[in-house]
Amino acid sequence: MSASLAPECNEVKERYDTCFLKWYSEKYLRGNGKTDENECASMFKEYQKCLQVALKDRKIDKLLDEAREDSKDYDTIHLKRK
Amino acid sequence: MVLTHTTNHSYTHPFPTVTLAFFLRYYSPQLNPFSAHVLSTDTIDSHVDPETGRLHTTRIHLKKSRMPSAIIKLLPASVTGGAGEKSSYVLENSIVDIKEGWMKTESRNLNFTGVLSADNSTLSSAVARPLSPNTWVSTTFSYRSSLGSRKTDKAAANEENSRGRFGWISGWGAKRIQSSIESIASNKTDDQIIKSRDGMKMVLERLRSNGVVAVLRELNRREGKSVFEA
Repeated sequence: MSASLAPECNEVKERYDTCFLKWYSEKYLRGNGKTDENECASMFKEYQKCLQVALKDRKIDKLLDEAREDSKDYDTIHLKRK
Repeated sequence: MVLTHTTNHSYTHPFPTVTLAFFLRYYSPQLNPFSAHVLSTDTIDSHVDPETGRLHTTRIHLKKSRMPSAIIKLLPASVTGGAGEKSSYVLENSIVDIKEGWMKTESRNLNFTGVLSADNSTLSSAVARPLSPNTWVSTTFSYRSSLGSRKTDKAAANEENSRGRFGWISGWGAKRIQSSIESIASNKTDDQIIKSRDGMKMVLERLRSNGVVAVLRELNRREGKSVFEA
């Protein structure tokens, strides 16, 4: 089982991952995964509650913001050119 | 400067299985021995677009860095991002369209951004034959280093005030370090592509002989067992 970057979130992450993979293979891939309100939604919320704190503590939230800004710059320079 | 490298490949597995293997590829080194450098994997976003039925997923992986520590030691924390000197955060975005039979993925470095970004876009497609036994993949790696660019200069200036170290790098040393990083990046690319394909193939074989639920059960059983044995 792959670990979370925050060991304190491992347990909720594992529950969500297992649910997601089951939902993905048994429902989504068979064309039955149309909405977000699936059986994994509450587990995802629990997991995010734990993870978001960890991302802030490790200042990864700032890296994410920078990456979004950076990819905007990159798109303007490289993708608009024809 | 941007370097790009595109390769094409096909897996002898149907499209849905390949997309599942993509999500599973860092799940466990027991499933994919080539994933031992992946320290953690977290999902930060996952939703199905109600209009298109496409699944959008964003994950953050923490990987051991492939960059030589001699170079990392020269770089200030503003560039390495402070994830520890030998590891780097990778942001992975993916979109699966099961109806149309394609998947797009993109990965980029979160730290080391001023130095090197490896964007890896993969397109897996069943080419209008959803039940085709093969899946085609096209992968483009691009490396961009921006040492000495406006954004990095600003970071460098801040760092110079606090440490007086990066000023030297953004001066005459920048070009040299940049070109050495770029050559390391492009030399390692082929090796990396082969390893990542071999890893995908091992996951795919496991999925072919067992379903995903059986594969997960087996992994959990083994992990549980090793806990009792220890």
